[in-house]
Amino acid sequence: MDTFLQACANGLMIGGFYSLMGMGQNIIFGVMKIINFCHGEMLMVGMYLTYAFHVYFGIDPYLAMPLVALVMFAMGALFQHTLITPSLGTHSFTNLLFLTVGMGVLLTNLAQVIFSSDYRTITTDYSSKILAFGPVTVALPKVVSFCVLIIISIALFFFLKYTPIGKQIRAVSQNPLGAQVVGIDAKRIYRITYGLGAALAGLSGALLTLFYVINPTAGSNFGFRALIVVVVGGLGSIPGAFFAGIFLGLLETLVSLFIGPSLRTLVVFATFIVILVIRQNILLRRR
Amino acid sequence: MRTPQKIALLILVAVMLALPQFIADMPYIVNVLILAFYMTTMSMAWNLLGGMTGQNSIGHACFMGIGAYTSVLCVVKFGMNPWVSLVVAVVVTALITGLVFSQCFILRGPYFTLVTIAFAEAVRQVILNWDFAGKAIGVGLPYVRGNNWLLFSFRDKAIYYYVAFAMMVGVYLLMKRIDNSKLGFALKTIREDEDVAAAIGIRPLKYKVIAVVISASVSAVAGFFYAGYYRYIDPNIMLQSASVELVLPAIIGGSAFVEGPLVGGILMVSLSEYLRNTFGGILPGINLILYAVVLIVVIRFRPTGILGWLHGRRTRKEGKA
Repeated sequence: MDTFLQACANGLMIGGFYSLMGMGQNIIFGVMKIINFCHGEMLMVGMYLTYAFHVYFGIDPYLAMPLVALVMFAMGALFQHTLITPSLGTHSFTNLLFLTVGMGVLLTNLAQVIFSSDYRTITTDYSSKILAFGPVTVALPKVVSFCVLIIISIALFFFLKYTPIGKQIRAVSQNPLGAQVVGIDAKRIYRITYGLGAALAGLSGALLTLFYVINPTAGSNFGFRALIVVVVGGLGSIPGAFFAGIFLGLLETLVSLFIGPSLRTLVVFATFIVILVIRQNILLRRR
Repeated sequence: MRTPQKIALLILVAVMLALPQFIADMPYIVNVLILAFYMTTMSMAWNLLGGMTGQNSIGHACFMGIGAYTSVLCVVKFGMNPWVSLVVAVVVTALITGLVFSQCFILRGPYFTLVTIAFAEAVRQVILNWDFAGKAIGVGLPYVRGNNWLLFSFRDKAIYYYVAFAMMVGVYLLMKRIDNSKLGFALKTIREDEDVAAAIGIRPLKYKVIAVVISASVSAVAGFFYAGYYRYIDPNIMLQSASVELVLPAIIGGSAFVEGPLVGGILMVSLSEYLRNTFGGILPGINLILYAVVLIVVIRFRPTGILGWLHGRRTRKEGKA
């Protein structure tokens, strides 16, 4: 029972990250109908930014978060403005897909050239503290990260629901043409959306740094799981993404507990394919 | 094709055929060219599904991996002749992909891409957990002395060169043939608009399954060659990054053209291998940075690829004249 609870706690923690990544991917996919294949790599960039702030400027990883978010937002907006927006005009799904894939390859290998492929970690004086909740023990940074993550998710939900920019993002995602007719600058919304997605990925990275190894391929695990979260949680739904992420995290840890850690990825991916196919079959039948 | 083009093509083929005789003392260059032929073949296989049918797969390394693993396991565990194992590998790959993707082709656009990624990773995980397939360590082919056609093992790199070249040319001719056939037109119609295709009597599901089966079979042949050349395979040949790498030549060359992967493959693989060899020691990953930069620049400024750009210029010139 204790191991079960412990596994649930771990699943919850890692699931929170899948949720946050999924939310970023969700708004990008919702607004521009493209898959952002460099989402995991952006998380990795966020990790290295946090690392750089910590090592070169001595900033605590949690205090570096606003800076990381800002830098990532600027990077994302620039990438969107210079590369993706012009390519959206060609209506070539293949090109858009491989544009982000190429960006991912570029980011991974740039990180490898700049920081080499060594595994790096950030240690602070509180990173080895452990909290006990009854039989379950969790490292302090994990708890803090999880709380911050929940706050960001709620803030994002309210941002999209009630602020003017949030409403514009939702409008463009529902009907780009209609949104432009009522005077919304779609290109500006694209920039903001992509920047926001990049910032969310960067924040996930910053939150991960205290208990995860930093290396150029650290993001690849999270990138694809963010896509699973989008598909399972439903397009345009922030609460859906949140619960899908938690569900995915729990599924992974429980599968490793009951079936075996080495089969974890296989079960998750096979489940994903089955969910996709069944979901599409239901959609087709409903039509 | 006009006569000067035909002559140029003949000269090119003749040069390619004669090349190993002149560079026999530079095994590294022969190796790069073999790799370029192999990548081009894979890229052409991808292009049948991605460029011609418009179904973007990021899981082709897995088709190649299934082929390579089937043939190697047949040889090592069942003592089969490599050439028989090639047939088994193609049949097994075609069956697996046909069965799986006949279910998955109701998914369109991005969702199909997601399935190919998940499928490739799932297959990799199966191999990683399967004792019979050597788990993470991989499997190696037995050592063979000298050049042996029957066991598909050669001491001479030049023979591998000719085999790879023949494979590439064969696949090119196959693709060219498909491009001009009823099948090719059906696939291109599906790429442009699936609903229209269905309305005029082309069954999208049937043709997409045919495309993926041919594409996967060609990948399996390439996988057989890969295993025969390196004599050793491990699950890392199916990594997502491998799948991505073999798509790039097609996009850079121009995915709407049968020749696209050919141009992109020969150009990019030679360049990237040269960079890896020259700077790889100081800056690992530099070749992939170049790959990514060229890809991004091509997509941003020449969305139809190198061939699309050249083609557009020629038609514009002819229009003026």
